[in-house]
Amino acid sequence: MLFRHAKRDAESARDIQFYLDTETEDNIARGMPPEEARAAARKKFGNPTLTREDIRLNGSAFLETTWQDLRFSLRTMRKSPAFTLTAILTLALGIGGNTAIFTLIRAVLLKPLEYRDPDHLVYFSVDNPRRNLQDLSFNTLQFDQMRAGAKSFCALGAYGRPENVMLSKNGEPEALKGARVSANFLDVLGIKPILGRSFLAEEDKRGGRPVAMISAGLWKRRFGGDPLTAGQTATLDATPYTIIGVLPDGFAFPFPNMDVWVTRPSEWSVFPPRYWDLPLLNGFARLTPQATLEQARAEMNVLQHRYAAAHPNLMNADAGVTMRVVWLKDRLVADARPMLWTLFGAVGFVLLIACANVASLLLARATSRSREFAVRVALGAGRFRMIRQLLAECLVLATAGGALGMLLAKWSLSAAPRLVAISLPRAAEIHLDSTVLVFGVGLSILTAVLFGLFPSMQASRPDLAQELRVSGAAAEQGRSARFTARSLLVIGQIAFSIVLLIGAGLLMRSFVALHDVDPGFQPANLLTAKIALPLARYDTDPKRAAFFRELLPRVEQLPGVSAAAIAMSLPATNWIRTNYWVQGKPSPDIGEPSTNAVIQSITPGYFRALGIPLKRGRELSARDNIPRAPPVMVINETLAHLLWPEYPHGENPVGRRIKEAYDKAVGWMEVVGIVADIHEGGLANNAVPEFYLPSVVHPPQTAYLVLRTPADPLRFAGAMRKAVLAVDPDQPLADIKTMESVLTSTFGQRRLTMWLLGSFAAVALLLAIVGMYGVIAYSVARRTQEVGIRRALGAQQSDILRLVLGQGLALSLAGVAIGIAGAFALTRVMKGLLFHVTATDPATFAGIAILFVIVALAASYIPARRAARIDPMNALRVG
Amino acid sequence: MPKKTKPEGDLLQGTLDMLILRTLVVGPAHGHSIAHAIEFGSDEILQVEHGSLYPALYRLEDRGWIAAFWGTSDNNRKAKFYRLTPAGRKQLTAETNRWERLVKGIARGLRPAAG
Repeated sequence: MLFRHAKRDAESARDIQFYLDTETEDNIARGMPPEEARAAARKKFGNPTLTREDIRLNGSAFLETTWQDLRFSLRTMRKSPAFTLTAILTLALGIGGNTAIFTLIRAVLLKPLEYRDPDHLVYFSVDNPRRNLQDLSFNTLQFDQMRAGAKSFCALGAYGRPENVMLSKNGEPEALKGARVSANFLDVLGIKPILGRSFLAEEDKRGGRPVAMISAGLWKRRFGGDPLTAGQTATLDATPYTIIGVLPDGFAFPFPNMDVWVTRPSEWSVFPPRYWDLPLLNGFARLTPQATLEQARAEMNVLQHRYAAAHPNLMNADAGVTMRVVWLKDRLVADARPMLWTLFGAVGFVLLIACANVASLLLARATSRSREFAVRVALGAGRFRMIRQLLAECLVLATAGGALGMLLAKWSLSAAPRLVAISLPRAAEIHLDSTVLVFGVGLSILTAVLFGLFPSMQASRPDLAQELRVSGAAAEQGRSARFTARSLLVIGQIAFSIVLLIGAGLLMRSFVALHDVDPGFQPANLLTAKIALPLARYDTDPKRAAFFRELLPRVEQLPGVSAAAIAMSLPATNWIRTNYWVQGKPSPDIGEPSTNAVIQSITPGYFRALGIPLKRGRELSARDNIPRAPPVMVINETLAHLLWPEYPHGENPVGRRIKEAYDKAVGWMEVVGIVADIHEGGLANNAVPEFYLPSVVHPPQTAYLVLRTPADPLRFAGAMRKAVLAVDPDQPLADIKTMESVLTSTFGQRRLTMWLLGSFAAVALLLAIVGMYGVIAYSVARRTQEVGIRRALGAQQSDILRLVLGQGLALSLAGVAIGIAGAFALTRVMKGLLFHVTATDPATFAGIAILFVIVALAASYIPARRAARIDPMNALRVG
Repeated sequence: MPKKTKPEGDLLQGTLDMLILRTLVVGPAHGHSIAHAIEFGSDEILQVEHGSLYPALYRLEDRGWIAAFWGTSDNNRKAKFYRLTPAGRKQLTAETNRWERLVKGIARGLRPAAG
C-alpha cells in the first residue's frame, strides 16, 4: 500500500513536471522570455504541491475516501463559521449536560457499591404501616433476636445514630463526626482496614474496652499518617481510647464524611444511658448465596412476629409492625434517585432540542446548498456517497460538540463539588471515568445520526429537474417540504422546552414557598454551635447544668451579643419526641404519633434570643432554672390547640398541669405560658406540638448554643469558642453556623435540582426560541414575492405584520399545547421534590404557557417587521 | 493557505471527468495536451487551473475508465499518456446521455425566468 503510494507520488511528480516543461517551452516558442514563460506555466497550472497532495488523497480505498469526506467537511464548515459555531455550541450544551448528569447517575445509582460482593448486601429496618411510619429503627433486643434467628444471612450488623465525638489529643480539642457500629461491620461489608485491625466481638459488649477506628483522612491530618498509630491512645469524649485501625480512603459507611468509628451502636451519647434500650439501631446484612431478598424478608417478619409476641409492652411490638428488607445500595441512594432521573430526563430533552435545532439549521443550509447537491448528483455522485459525505459533516460537528461538551461537563462537575456533595450520597465516587467517556463518545455519534440522518437523506434526493430551475412552483415544492419538516422540528422543540420550563417553574414555586414559610422566629443574625458534652466527664444532670450555668453569662457578656441561650435542639436538627399526660384528662394512646410532643430543654433567654413571640402567660424565668424550683413549662400553640381545641378561646391552658414520659420523676409541671409555633422539623414540615422545660430539668448531653449578634454572626465564632474553652479547655464546638444556613441546609437537594433544572430549562427556551426565529425568518425570506404581491394588491404593513406574527403564534401554540399535555404526564415524577405546589399547578402551567407565547411573539416580531417593510416593487422585480 | 481550486472545481468535478473522457475518444494524449484541448474545446469557458485536471486523471485511472502508459512526446520528452478503456467509453456514453437530459432540464427551467 505504502509502496503503491510512493510510486504514484513519484509518477505524478514527473507527470506534472512534464506539463510545466512543455508549457514553458510552448510559451518560449510564443516569444516569452524564459523566466516569464516559466512563471506563466506555473500560473496556468496552479499549485503543483497541492495538486500532488490531492492526487495522493484521491485513492479509492475506503479510509481514504472517508478522509476525503472529513477534509471536505472541514472545508465546508470553514466556509460558514457562523453555522458551524452555532451548531457546535448547541451540541456542546446538550452533550455536556448529558455527560455531567450521567456521571452523577453512574457514580450514585449505577455503579455497584465498593464493597466485596455488593449484590448480596441488604439493609433492614422497621415499618409501621398502621401508623403510616416507615423505615424506623429497632432496639438491641430485636437486633440480638434477629442475629440469632435469621438463617438467610451470613452476617448481620447494626449501626446507631451519628455521633459527635470530641478528640482532645495534643492541641486544641476537635469535634469529630463519629459512627457507632457493631463489631462485625467490616466483615459484613468485606472491607479490610489499611492499618491495624477491626473490632473484636468482646469490644462490642457493654463495658468492653474502649477502642476506635479512624478514617484515613483523620489519620493523615492528626496522626501524620504514622504507621505506628494503631495501638496508640487518643482521648475521645474525655475517655482514653485505643486506636486499633485505619479505614480506607473514601470509606463512607454508614454515613459519609465520618472521622471515627466506635462499637456498641445503641450507646448514643446524646441520650443518657437509661434510654439506650430505645430503638436507635438500623441494620445491614449479607445474604447467603442461596437466599433471595424475598426469603430474607419473610424470615425477618417471622422473627419480628415472635419478638412482638414475647415483648408486648416494648417499642415496635404493635401488631402491624413489619420488617423492611431492601438492597443496601437502594437504601443508600433512595433519596437521590427521583432527583437524578428527573434531571437525566430533563437533560435528555435538552439534547433532543439541541438536535432538533441543528437538524433545522442543516435543513436551512440544505436549501441554500440544494443547487450544489443537485449538480453533484447530476454529475454522477451516488446517493450513498452523498449521504456519507453529509453524515461525515454531521459527525465532524458532533465530535467537536462532544469534545467541548465533555470539557463543559468536567468543568461544571469540578466547579460545583460542594453543592453536589451536600446533596448526594456517594459523592466521593463522582468522577469522569472511562465509562463516562464512552458514554460521551457514543452519545456524540448517536447525536450526529439523530440530527443528521433526516436532513442528509432529504438533501441527497434532490429532484433534479426541479432544483435546477431558477424559480417556479416545482422548486418551491421541494423547499416547502423542508419548511414543513423544520416547522415540525420547531413545534417539537417548543413542546420539550415547555415541559422543562414547567418542571423548573414548579420547583421554583416550591422554593419560593419554602422561603416564604414564616419560621416563627427571627433567623437573621443568629450564630449557632453544637456542644457535645462527653459522658465521661459530664455524666450527671448537675454537672451538665453547672457547665451551662457557667458558660451562659460568659457568652451573653461578649461585646455585641444581645442575647444568648442554650437548647437541646435547633429547628431543622434532631429532636426528641415524647408522650405526656394532662392532669384531669384521659391518658392518650401511647405511641400514637399525633399525641407525641417535641421536648425542648432551654435556658430562660431562649425565646428572646430567637425572637419567638409569647402569646399568653409568661416566659421561663431565671428562677425557674434553678435546682428544686417548682416545675413549670411553656407550650406552643399547636400543643395548646391539640389539647384544648377551642384555644385561643375557651378554657385557658395556662395554669393546667402536664407530665411528660421522658423522665417521669419530674412529675406534674404547670403550664406558665404559650408561645408561637416554630418549624422544629425544618421549614418544609408543619409545626408540631412542643413543650419547653427549663434546662435545669434535663440538662442536655448534646446542646446547642445560640447567640443573637449584630450583622455577620460568623465574626463571633472565635469569641464564642474562647468563652467555651474558658469554662472547659477540653470542650470543642461543632457545626458553627448561622441559623439561616441551619434552616436552608435542609433545602440542599431541592436547591441543586432547581438550579440544574432551571438552567436546563433556560437553555431549552433559548434553543427553542432560536429555532423558531430561524424558521419564521426563513419563511419571511421565502415569501418575499408573495408579500410583495400582497402589498401591491393593497395589504397594509399591519396586515403583513399580522400575517407573520400569526404564523409564529400558530407554531408556538401547537408546541405549547403538546408541551402542556406532556408536562401533565411527566411532572408527577417530581412530586416528592415539590412543596405547597401540586404537580399540575394550573398557575404554573398557565404562566409558563403565556410567558412562552409572549417570548415567541417577540422572536417572530423581528422577521415580521422585516416582512412588513418589504418594498413591493423590489420584491416583485427580484422574482 | 492559498485557494487552490475555485468553487466550481468542486462543483464541476463530474463535468471535468466527462470532458477528459471525451477528449480521449480521438486517441491517447498526455496531461498537457488534454488540458489545452479541454480549454480550447469549451471555448475557454472552463477557466480551470490546469493542475486541477491531474487529480481527476488519477481518479479516472483508479476507476479503470482510463489507462496510462509512459511514452515519448512531440518535444522528445518522457510523458505519461492516457487512453480510454472500454469501461471508460461506456461511462462516457452514459454520462453524455445524462448530461443532455440535465441541459434540457435547465433550458426548460430558464425559459420562463428569462421572459
